[in-house]
Amino acid sequence: MSEDLDRRHFLARLWTWGLGVMAGAAAWTSWDFLQPVAGQSGGPVATVSPDKIPTDSVLEIPAMRGYLTEIEGATEAIWWKCPHLGCKVPWCETSGQFECPCHGSVYNRKGEYRRGPAPRGMDRFEFTIINGVVVPDTSKIIRGAPAGSPETINEPPKGPECLDPTAG
Amino acid sequence: MSLMDTIRKSAPGRAIWRTPRRVTDRDRAAAHWGSFLLHIYPVRMRREQISFRWSWFLGVASMVLFGSLIASGIYLMFFYVPSPSTAYGDIIFLQTKVAFGQYIRNIHRWSAHLMVLAVAAHMARMFYRGAYKPPREFNWIVGVVLLVLTLLLSFTGYLLPWDQLAYWAVTIGTSMTEFVPFIGGTVGGMLLGGTEVGAQTLLRFYVLHVAVLPTLLVGIIMIHLWRWRKDSMLDMEVASE
Amino acid sequence: MSDDKPTQPSNVRVLGFVEGKPLVGDRKVPEEEDSVMVWPHLLIRHGVVALAVMVFVLGISLFFNAPLKEMANPSVTPNPEKAPWYFAALQELLSRFHPLVAGVLVPGAIIVGLLALPFIDRNPDTRMRNRRIAVATFTIFMVAWIILTLIGFAFRGPNWGWVWPWQEWYGEL
Ligand code: FES
Repeated sequence: MSEDLDRRHFLARLWTWGLGVMAGAAAWTSWDFLQPVAGQSGGPVATVSPDKIPTDSVLEIPAMRGYLTEIEGATEAIWWKCPHLGCKVPWCETSGQFECPCHGSVYNRKGEYRRGPAPRGMDRFEFTIINGVVVPDTSKIIRGAPAGSPETINEPPKGPECLDPTAG
Repeated sequence: MSLMDTIRKSAPGRAIWRTPRRVTDRDRAAAHWGSFLLHIYPVRMRREQISFRWSWFLGVASMVLFGSLIASGIYLMFFYVPSPSTAYGDIIFLQTKVAFGQYIRNIHRWSAHLMVLAVAAHMARMFYRGAYKPPREFNWIVGVVLLVLTLLLSFTGYLLPWDQLAYWAVTIGTSMTEFVPFIGGTVGGMLLGGTEVGAQTLLRFYVLHVAVLPTLLVGIIMIHLWRWRKDSMLDMEVASE
Repeated sequence: MSDDKPTQPSNVRVLGFVEGKPLVGDRKVPEEEDSVMVWPHLLIRHGVVALAVMVFVLGISLFFNAPLKEMANPSVTPNPEKAPWYFAALQELLSRFHPLVAGVLVPGAIIVGLLALPFIDRNPDTRMRNRRIAVATFTIFMVAWIILTLIGFAFRGPNWGWVWPWQEWYGEL
């Protein structure tokens, strides 16, 4: 601030700052206004009781947009959305792994990254058990481990893959 | 004297056109002051500037297609409700029950694809003509913004029929935002209005498609044309042959 | 003679004429001979272009219907899954590179590059033969983009595998 800041320029500067504050407030409120509202998409979904969940395969639950599976006694609720570009990742029964047809990402039964262009393993949902039923909350997402992390289960492909082997 | 001349000469005619007579070039030049539609054009241009090879008329083609999109889009809005339970049925209804419904939808769809093509080709032609060079740098930048807006308009419209094509193309497109560092996840969430393409996404894309983006596009087109008119008589700093 | 007197629009008044250069674009004012009136010369051309474009659009709309697939279904991903044709090049890149590169850095660089083009290419000459590098660079990028678009649009089938468009067609408009 120089000493020769007279009244006129001081006021001009003040108005400019005022405009800036208004613009900032508008940007901030608009940003918050457009955030997704909790409960409008996703939420708790009642599925099945834990003893109906297969231990060597997966159970597709369309309502929760995912699969339930049991690994060493622990239930996993896996989101079927491919962390690459969002295709639904189908389960391949013959090979015992998830194989995405869109660009060929492959994951093991726990949704952990095996190969392909995906940047991480499949995402999972937090879940609770209410009245003996698994209730995943599809708005609470646990992100998969980054590609290249070691797999925590030892289930190599048990047969031929569903992906066309000539496909890139 | 033609009927139009008589109308122009009358009192209301003078009130509207101000310049009643269109005989000499000077009359016509004067009309550019008085006419809203003509004022977006310069009065004179160099001969080469109005030739085909100057622009291949791709800019005006884009404008015509945009006009066709606005017109056909308004018709479509009469029959469309942006909700997952109704959207697809509305399109079927439009195509099977509404007179010329399928035809209007075809016009909208093909105009949209052609507009993307025309705008992109316009940009390429302007590159080869060197039209981005001083003193026209700013209008080039405005043009790039218009290209991006055109793509966004086309992409938001792609979701609205709510068929498999729309749903998965938009799933892929919006998944890409997730990889933008820092703000990607938030921006993706704002576009989708949730974690997956759903009712909120459809509504948001609809609002963007019929209100936000067209308004922006019209406004920025105005700047683009205004600048084109202002720059039309300027020579490039080093002229072409 | 009286015909040559200008019509005075009622909303402007000529105060006087000043000899000299225009304030902007000071190279030259077009001579009468090499410039023409926009009305009618350009307007008539624009009218013809507008008619031609509209006839074309209205014509193809008669014969080709806009595609409509089954209703959106989150539990079935079509195979192949295709983005709109103008994103086909991006999708092709995305199947080969990490999404941060193919989905963010490449498109970001293209847009920023286009925006900054007037300030990157400082050569003021507009004649093709005097700007070989700029023309060659732009052409290479453009051709590469067109090829990628064609591959993604017409040459990709189930599991994003290669198909010949004359054998199986998976392009979607
Ligand atoms: S979306 Fe699954 S690999 Fe690309």
